[in-house]
Amino acid sequence: MKRAALLWLVLVLAASAYLLIRLLGGVQFQTDFTALLPQEERDPGVQQAKDHVAQILNRRIVVLIGDRERATARAAGAALAEALRHSGLAASVTYTTNGDGLRKLGEIFFPYRFGLLTAGDRALLQQGRGEEIVARALASVYGPIGIADANLLRRDPFLLLPTYLSDLPRPLPRLTLDDGILSTQDGQEHYVLITAEVAGDPFALALAERFVARFDQAEQRLRAATPDLRVLRLGAVFYAEAGAAAATRETSAISIVSLLGTVLLVLAVFRALRPLGLTLLAIGTGVICAFAVSLWLFGTLHVAALLFGVSLIGIALDYCLQYLTARFNSEDGTPAQRLRRVLPGIVLGITTTLIGYLTLLLAPFPGLRQVAVFSAVGLVASFATVLLWLPALDQAAPLAHGEGLLRAAGWLWELWEEPRRRYRWPRQVLCAMLAVAALLGAWRLRAEDDIRRYEALSPPLKQQEAELRRLTGINGGTEFLLVRAADEESALETEESLLDRLQRGKAEGVLSGFQAIAQVIPSAARQRDNRALVRDRLIAPFLTSYDKRLGLSASAAPDVGDPGPLTLAAIPAGSPLALLRDLDLGTGSGGTMHVVLLYGVARLGALRQLAEAVPGVRLVDPVGDLTQLLGQYRRRAVLVLALSALLMLPVVGWRYGLRGGMRVALPPAIAVLATPPLVALAGVPFTFFNAMALVLVLSVGFDYAVFCRETDAAHRPATMLGVWLAMATTLLSFGLLGASRVFAVHAFGITLLVGTLLAFVAAPVAGTSTTNRSRLSKGG
Amino acid sequence: MMRPLRFALLLVMAAAPLAFGRPLEQPPLHPGESLSGRFVQERHLAGLSAPLVSQGRFLLAAGKGLVWHTEKPFDTTIVITPAGLLQLVDGREVQRLPAARAPFLARLYTMLGGALGGDWSAMAQDFSVERRSGEAGWTILLKPLAGDDPAAAPLQSIAVTGRAFVDSVEIRRPNGDWDHLRFSDEVRSSAPLAGADARLLETDAP
Repeated sequence: MKRAALLWLVLVLAASAYLLIRLLGGVQFQTDFTALLPQEERDPGVQQAKDHVAQILNRRIVVLIGDRERATARAAGAALAEALRHSGLAASVTYTTNGDGLRKLGEIFFPYRFGLLTAGDRALLQQGRGEEIVARALASVYGPIGIADANLLRRDPFLLLPTYLSDLPRPLPRLTLDDGILSTQDGQEHYVLITAEVAGDPFALALAERFVARFDQAEQRLRAATPDLRVLRLGAVFYAEAGAAAATRETSAISIVSLLGTVLLVLAVFRALRPLGLTLLAIGTGVICAFAVSLWLFGTLHVAALLFGVSLIGIALDYCLQYLTARFNSEDGTPAQRLRRVLPGIVLGITTTLIGYLTLLLAPFPGLRQVAVFSAVGLVASFATVLLWLPALDQAAPLAHGEGLLRAAGWLWELWEEPRRRYRWPRQVLCAMLAVAALLGAWRLRAEDDIRRYEALSPPLKQQEAELRRLTGINGGTEFLLVRAADEESALETEESLLDRLQRGKAEGVLSGFQAIAQVIPSAARQRDNRALVRDRLIAPFLTSYDKRLGLSASAAPDVGDPGPLTLAAIPAGSPLALLRDLDLGTGSGGTMHVVLLYGVARLGALRQLAEAVPGVRLVDPVGDLTQLLGQYRRRAVLVLALSALLMLPVVGWRYGLRGGMRVALPPAIAVLATPPLVALAGVPFTFFNAMALVLVLSVGFDYAVFCRETDAAHRPATMLGVWLAMATTLLSFGLLGASRVFAVHAFGITLLVGTLLAFVAAPVAGTSTTNRSRLSKGG
Repeated sequence: MMRPLRFALLLVMAAAPLAFGRPLEQPPLHPGESLSGRFVQERHLAGLSAPLVSQGRFLLAAGKGLVWHTEKPFDTTIVITPAGLLQLVDGREVQRLPAARAPFLARLYTMLGGALGGDWSAMAQDFSVERRSGEAGWTILLKPLAGDDPAAAPLQSIAVTGRAFVDSVEIRRPNGDWDHLRFSDEVRSSAPLAGADARLLETDAP
């Protein structure tokens, strides 16, 4: 025993050292909610596209700066853009679009001009209405806005390229390029737009914190100069930082209240410092080992896993408290005697709890695996501390002060088993009320899998987002279309047939816009076709008379010949169209993949029908997929729950026999079955997270039931005091999660709160029928 | 490709007397007022045998926009409003450019408003303004300040001459091309707009 205690000391010290090194080395905690979800790998292409699009969308930030003075807004925009550039945390900051970039784009497109036709011009030529293009060109040449000189008129007589360029899709419909800066006006306010990309994963907390700190600093400096300046920000990095900050605040608040409450409770009950020290030791070793092992296994930890992990202290405490309350039994004089008395209950409790936790491993959610490992390791470590260290450290004599306390603790038992049947009536009322409430709740019970309900986004940021979306017209969601084809050319051709349909969808209000490569770079086949149309239906019939009318000296017709197709590669990195490159996922063994971004999708079903009629096109809806997935896993979690209950039954059945086992299983069964409807009564829907909380309720319920079953009449008050304390500490830790603003955490917490209370109240039922004494206690 | 700023100048010039001509008792246009008249535009493009001559009438409505109706050599109309640009040939729409699509259109409109109100600071941002007065009237010479504005660059100079109203505008470009515009029959009115012009200017969001 002594050697084992020493070995355990070495292990704990090693874990502490490892943890210290990792923490000093700066651990990056994950905050991305989706990191908690399984990678579905059914279609690697779709997954790749999802990751790619998520990366594009998540890294992008959009900032709008407004002031009544146009010059002030522009100067502030320049200052912020400069600050972002200098931070080294932003990959590409776009503020000014100089005319040079636009001119260069014109130069790049110029050789291909006859292959580039707007949809309208192409339709006119196909319908043989070339004269309308001629009339438009003449009006432009004569018009008050002189856009052409003789040189241009010789090379692009019908001004097709200027028309094409002014018709290019614009992702920000409400913004205009004002003197090189994307701007918009709202009443008296002038706004300028800055876009940038975060240099790295916006969900990596350290980066997000540094980025937002730098941004806040720059914004404050601007506000110091111009107090009325409006700064609106939008980007995943801001939400991630705010979410992490809130979670950190919550975690610290929950930990502090939980810890303080636990400390006060233990002090009040034992009236001594040593039990408190022992309790903290058991918790501390549990947390240190859980933290170290999890970091070692996973490399990183999700903040949510940490949040749950912190709360698991409550469960580890149960065993510690069972041992400590044995001090109130006067005949158990030595620590070894006390340990022997409570050991069967503790071992059985920890076995059922471990079954409950480890079944979490069966749900293939990375975050839940972290929680499972964290909690299982913490439990076992705390148990080892209770078993190996506590008897050696605790040399005190039995406590004598607890009479009133013990009597009070025993009252719950009397409620269920009171010789004079004094409580029969209240008991029946209680049961009836519970049954009615549960039935009412069952009527309101509904499942909820929509992930958007789970996201607790910062309200001020949401407000800014809404304002920014209103001002800029940005209305992109997370849905997109994935185009898969054999090669680049066929991908573009697929997009072209898709674009026609999307255009129709836009007219019918299915969506408000879209962005695709083929809108700017037509397929080679389309470019060839366009050149033929221009040659045969525009230049051949109209050029001579057109030149004559303008008085343009007769010259050779412009060369419509084949310059080869314009390709995406021709667009330079710094150009305003460089974003198009993000839509190209490249060509691999599976062919070429392109992404078509969608804006303002109003009718998803209609859009799916419209788009997927084109072979090779698939609508990808990450949020919808996630909702579906969470639904699947909610159902799976219920199975896990049933499974762990089934796995626990043989354990208690082996120890207490069939009837005894059934009795022990009764309180946890009541808790697990009645909690969801009771929680639904409070308006909380049944989600995956409620289901997962029920797994823990089951473990807690078995713990309490086993403690009640293991004890005998003489030691019952001490046992019940331990159960009381266990329940109180559990509520202090888990129940507090119910106060969280994070929907998932709230659902988890409130389920545990109700479930633990039910399990606690019903626990004595497990021990009331004492005719069948257990095998072990007969022997030991 | 578009150079709306140049066009802005044109608009401003049409309104110039209202600001410059203040000594000649021409106050700026008030909301609800309009200025209309005839124009002859000669466009001299190097390499063309003869200048492109067009003529027609214009209408400038304070706070609303401008209608530039070319009657000869063919019928075409360009309408500029805060919402954007609209082009018609023989009364049929051939091009529609929302302000959001045409860079500077919104800005142009602000400048126009400024000039109508007699506020030349908007112009002074982009141009050096030189003013001369003589017995025959006044002349204003505008030269683009060296700036980043790509739209200002293709302009070399703009000369505006006038008496009560603007008589002529000459716009020169670095490549040797130049436009000469003559205005006549200018009438200032506070009567509500009517007919086709009113409809064109009332059209929302081209």
